[in-house]
Amino acid sequence: MQSRRCADPHLVRIDAKRWQGPLFYPFRCSYIAWNRDIMSFYKYKDIIEEGDFVLAFIGRGNLKHITVTPGSVLNTRYGSFEHERMIGMKFGDQMSGARGVGFIHLLHPSPELWTISLPHRTQIVYTPDSSYIMQRLGVTTGTRVIEAGTGSGSFSHSFARTVGSEGVLFSYEFHEPRFLEAKKEFQEHGLLDVNTLITHRDVCNGGFEIESIPERFSSDCKSVNADVVFLDLPSPWTAIPHLQKVIAKRSRVGICCFSPCIEQVEKTVKALQENGWSSIEMVEVAGKRWEARKEMVKDISDVVKRLKDIQSRKSQGIENRRHAKVVGEKREISEVNDEDSGSEPKKFQNLGKGFNPFGKGLRVKEGDDQWTWTNVTKIEADIKSHTSYLTFAYMNPNVRIAEFPKQTTTNESS
Amino acid sequence: MSETPDPSPNVTPAFKAENEVFAPKSSTIISPNQFAFVRLPSEGMKIVELKPGGIINLGKFGAFAVDGVLGYPFGQTFEILDDNQVTPIESITYEADISEDVELSEGGAEAAGPELTKDELTKLFTNSSENNQNIINIGSSIQKLSSEEIDSLKKSGASSDFGQKIIEQIIAGHAGFDKKTIFSQQKYLKRKQQKFLRRFTMEYLGSSQLLKYYIEKDSQRVLDMSEETLGLLLNYANVRQGGRYLLVDETGGVVLYAMMERMKGQGTIVVAHDNEHPNHIALRYSNYQPSMVEDMVKPINWLQFMEPENERIDWVTATEDELNDMKFAKRQQYERRSKRAQEVNSVIDQVTTGNFDAVIVVSTLNLPSLVPHLIGTVGGSRPIVLYHQYKESLLDTQHSLSNDKRVLAPSIFETRVRPHQTIPGRMHPVMSMRGFGGYILWATRVFPKEGGVTAVGRGVSKKKKDEEAKVEEKDVVMEEAKDDKA
Ligand SMILES: C[S@@+](CC[C@H](N)C(=O)[O-])C[C@H]1O[C@@H](n2cnc3c(N)ncnc32)[C@H](O)[C@@H]1O
Repeated sequence: MQSRRCADPHLVRIDAKRWQGPLFYPFRCSYIAWNRDIMSFYKYKDIIEEGDFVLAFIGRGNLKHITVTPGSVLNTRYGSFEHERMIGMKFGDQMSGARGVGFIHLLHPSPELWTISLPHRTQIVYTPDSSYIMQRLGVTTGTRVIEAGTGSGSFSHSFARTVGSEGVLFSYEFHEPRFLEAKKEFQEHGLLDVNTLITHRDVCNGGFEIESIPERFSSDCKSVNADVVFLDLPSPWTAIPHLQKVIAKRSRVGICCFSPCIEQVEKTVKALQENGWSSIEMVEVAGKRWEARKEMVKDISDVVKRLKDIQSRKSQGIENRRHAKVVGEKREISEVNDEDSGSEPKKFQNLGKGFNPFGKGLRVKEGDDQWTWTNVTKIEADIKSHTSYLTFAYMNPNVRIAEFPKQTTTNESS
Repeated sequence: MSETPDPSPNVTPAFKAENEVFAPKSSTIISPNQFAFVRLPSEGMKIVELKPGGIINLGKFGAFAVDGVLGYPFGQTFEILDDNQVTPIESITYEADISEDVELSEGGAEAAGPELTKDELTKLFTNSSENNQNIINIGSSIQKLSSEEIDSLKKSGASSDFGQKIIEQIIAGHAGFDKKTIFSQQKYLKRKQQKFLRRFTMEYLGSSQLLKYYIEKDSQRVLDMSEETLGLLLNYANVRQGGRYLLVDETGGVVLYAMMERMKGQGTIVVAHDNEHPNHIALRYSNYQPSMVEDMVKPINWLQFMEPENERIDWVTATEDELNDMKFAKRQQYERRSKRAQEVNSVIDQVTTGNFDAVIVVSTLNLPSLVPHLIGTVGGSRPIVLYHQYKESLLDTQHSLSNDKRVLAPSIFETRVRPHQTIPGRMHPVMSMRGFGGYILWATRVFPKEGGVTAVGRGVSKKKKDEEAKVEEKDVVMEEAKDDKA
């Protein structure tokens, strides 16, 4: 199924060429002039300009990414927003819709916001997993990372941000349409200009070597020379044997394989062992979001008080009726009927009078000042109970790689 | 191992070795005059300083000469030999890599197979990547070993493999070891190794290692923050090279250390603190040059932060003549005060200018009263990230922010890593782990439209809808989009 071969670097080059041609590049038609110097994922800017990449925050889980293009309009159920008006506004501004109806917030992209707004081409890695993987493998400014497959590029943006202009992200994707979309996206987001190289390749068959690495992405030894490897593909064990050629030889290399099934982990662990990786450890990450809510404080003494109130009103009602009979006052027929058909407490509260400490029968808004509340957290309705298993390991060169001259002067310092 | 690294490495002279002390510290090669992180077989850990010519004592695991480990890459495991010498080895403990064919023989301990010779047994412990399938066949030729015998072995055992010998004998002496299941054998071996192997791994002291060290020592000092929560915090805060951040850090500087690691010398971190001087005790282990720390880290106390105009120092620069007239001591005092005035005023400027790329708060201060003072200093669309040990504190904070229109979509996050036992065929989550880690509130700084906005209403009861829309807008959370199961 996944035997598509593109190990031949020549083939890759052909693919790259095809990507340029309009015939094989359907995205061209929807091409908009994005801001060429876009650095959205590497530094913040304050004022929105034409061609900028903006995330329109519309509402709950609803962020739309737009490239600010005069003449275009963002239409939402909360109103219409002309791009033109965005120019000159600040990132973070609240913008009202046409004719003052509705509003959105204009946000500056970040990898974390992108992860919750990107178009899904595949399953993606979410922030709790990606942030842990980066922290645990010590990914920082300057790290050289291999990532396969690119998929929807969720993790790619996060890696690219963190490794910065001193680091490199080598991303591989073997599915051609997905590769093309990712490449276009990375171009528009400025990743390719700064630190990202995406390659159309089946890494399980063709490995990770890259023929001609652009000068600025090249290391001392003119190779990929990766410090960290992240594999998010169905059969990492078939890709692992190819890593030897592309990982750093003079420092420890960390790897994380991301697989949803335990059977995959088994095979991965074996492949790692057979290929000289050590300190193998598998973990799961459980990320949760908690909602801040308020619960009404219902005091038992109020319950008792209310019952007493009902009772007294009831007997009062009976008194009133007796009184009415004696005095012969004219009464509403409904009232009489009501009382006759069994006088349950319910009726009293429906009158809306009386002691009603918890707002029974009323539409009470959570947090309404008229009532007493206590703060509570509620777990989000749908939690991601399993994303994937994360298998970590390290490759050590196990050799001395530098000689430090014996120092006689520093001895006394200890 | 299928491809062993070249045994005769091209040893190169170390970079800039002449002025070692001032050379940038390495994060990949074990280099002199820097701190490093030592992992012990017992899963214990230690921070050590690598002074050339020095000896580092690891207690019951032995002692070693620093010179012996210099020049290897960080991450290297060593075995301690005689005379404080070390030899590089592949792994700190025997790793349970039982192969499938053994796994298939359900009989476990009773499975038939060739007997292990003593040599093989020793090898088993020396080289982790040996195939250990035969471990289940460990001898029926049982010799009981008393604890006195172990002690005497330990005393006499100055030799390199004495730890292994002990384990070997313990196995031999463990009546019925061969009756144990593979799994319990492995567990047993691991426990024994943790006690007796004279091995250690020398790791780079990164922020994760530093955090682990403090968690182990006293997790309250880092406010119970876990590695995964630190990672989440750094990513939600979008920490990267060149950024300008406002930080409140009551972990003794561990969070600061982590930010500096990500920023690699470029950018600014304004640190607000509640004493005369900030407590950055963790930075003493850092391999950063003091000048770099000074360039990046700008402390400001809360008084200066809250009342910048009162606290700004009116500094009158002395004239050339005045300076010349000053006595040496007076002149020095002048220089000191001048520098301090400049520092204070410049950090006050940083705060009054604001527009920080993020505000990060890891503190025990009451957040609902603190945070409103910080929001204004954050740039548009930049993250506000609050850490707290207790979810309830973030809950109260989120409620208190719900009417603050400068804050968009605050949400509380929790992340927990669950480790598994990683033996093929026997994978399952570990039975117990520490319950800690803390919580993160993540929100985005926005600018509400002056004069307010009207939410959209649709349908018949427009007014009601308006109300609902407003509520909905206010309560919005950055919910992660559903996976479209590809
Ligand atoms: C689950 S997705 C990766 C998602 C990505 N980590 C993210 O965060 O968006 C897996 C991707 O790997 C690609 N893939 C699978 N096998 C591959 C191979 N042998 N070589 C290159 N890419 C491969 C698939 O086409 C798919 O796009």
